[in-house]
Amino acid sequence: MPITPMEVYKLLPKTNCKKCGETTCMSFAFKLINREKTLEECTPLFEEQKYSKQFESLQKLLEPLKNATETGLIVDENLCVGCANCVVVCPVHASEDPHGTGYGLGPTIEDPILRIEDGVVKVINMMKCRRYGKNRVLCVACRENCPSDAIRFLEG
Amino acid sequence: MITCAGCSCLCTDIVFRNGKIFNACRRGAGIFLNRDANRAKPMVDREEVKFDRAVEKAIEIISSSENLAIYGLDTVSLEAQKIAIEIAEKKRAYIDDNSSYCLGDFIRLILEKKVPTTTLDEVKNNAYVLFYWGTDPYHSLSRHLSRYTYYPRGGKRQRGYEEDRFLIVADVRKSHTAMLAKKNSRFIEVEDDVELVNAFIDTMDGKATKYSEVTARIIKEMKKGGFGVIFGGLGLRYGLKGNYDLFVEMINRMNEFSEVYFMPAGCHPNMRGFNELMFQKTGEINRYSFEYTESKPEFEFSKLLMNDTVDTAVIIGTDPLNSLPFEVARKLNQIDTVVIDPRASLTSKIAKVMIPSSISGVEQGGTMIRVDGVRIDINPLIENDFERTDEGILKTILEGI
Repeated sequence: MPITPMEVYKLLPKTNCKKCGETTCMSFAFKLINREKTLEECTPLFEEQKYSKQFESLQKLLEPLKNATETGLIVDENLCVGCANCVVVCPVHASEDPHGTGYGLGPTIEDPILRIEDGVVKVINMMKCRRYGKNRVLCVACRENCPSDAIRFLEG
Repeated sequence: MITCAGCSCLCTDIVFRNGKIFNACRRGAGIFLNRDANRAKPMVDREEVKFDRAVEKAIEIISSSENLAIYGLDTVSLEAQKIAIEIAEKKRAYIDDNSSYCLGDFIRLILEKKVPTTTLDEVKNNAYVLFYWGTDPYHSLSRHLSRYTYYPRGGKRQRGYEEDRFLIVADVRKSHTAMLAKKNSRFIEVEDDVELVNAFIDTMDGKATKYSEVTARIIKEMKKGGFGVIFGGLGLRYGLKGNYDLFVEMINRMNEFSEVYFMPAGCHPNMRGFNELMFQKTGEINRYSFEYTESKPEFEFSKLLMNDTVDTAVIIGTDPLNSLPFEVARKLNQIDTVVIDPRASLTSKIAKVMIPSSISGVEQGGTMIRVDGVRIDINPLIENDFERTDEGILKTILEGI
């Protein structure tokens, strides 16, 4: 299940107290998902007893964030069957390695973004991904072609 | 580069480095990673013996048997299959493999040249319409879509799957492969396969059917693309209920305006190899008796067991006690069985003689025939002694009887 800012917002204090440095709780929720802020910066959640239940649910909700890569990619190896659809379909792979992954074979370049290792997909080099860095493109080619949901992105 | 002989894709681009397997799917990687798990030991009457003693005992049992059946063979190389067929011929035995209830009927259509077929490399370079009918390759042949058909950019199809391929998945439920049918693709929820075949023929005749919207679109895409392939799986094999003539008619009609090929999807690694060897030798592909020199449905391995026709069975590289219905498998306990398998299986537990062999693609090489008819040389991870390979074991048995 994707983590949406609205879901996070519902569990925040919703008082717009500005203690975290943000104007509203909603903008804090956005930045929380983009990992520009951490949950610890919302001090009322810790200090006030009435928020303790919400705090626990939030921690549970944001658990996948810890495993996500810089581009927001989450790989669940238990669901992966190693079909390599994601490896072949990746537009970066197709342009950099047209005779390897672009042609359906295993990667011939040393540092592909994704690679099938021991039968499951592994993230090798996230820096090459189109979603990485400031001028990112929200490409979802790998997720689109993963029917078992082994590949997900934070935004859904 | 090593070859994975896990399924009929026979991927040749597997890399083994620092104890890790690269590029193989989960199923293929499992074969390499668990190569030492659950290995069989040479046994006679469920007691461990020396390897040579097990082979000697097997020769003894086979020599003294009057009605022998040889079964399995789909996971071993062509060379080993050839020797097994020779043993069957010498003993005037029955021989059968899994194709009798798997996709053997489709292979027969292809070998008898009733339907046009092509190779997977041609599909990669030219195919536009890809029609998966009654199969879920995402699970059964995991790399089929990414290595050979839908995703790779090759030859005339350089613009990727969204523009240069048209995917159709026909299945009784929304399988994982069907979930891939999004843009420029179709999913057909089939209730009756014969009905769908008739719907295609009717659409080509200009008649309206329940499936009109989708069949008309597919036929239009076939005309546009000029190269289409139908991959038939077990769902289609059983869904057709024996109406192969109707299916052949449909494909021939489609070929009047476009190139449409047929290919089976999803079978054992070297099933087609066995079928081709038998076809060259006898004109039949499976369930053959060298005693009566003919092929009959009664000579299917499960029927032979049910009718108590055989007194000895040689089972090579398969686990019938696990895969056949219990009523049939129970009969295996009443006859003499010689099992040749790299791993300890349920059948090996009741076997009179168990001979451990090598795993294809891991410890033994040879040649196999891919599902599209292309010969692939198996490049194994390590080479075992010849005596310990399927080919070596069968050769010793052939010389001994």
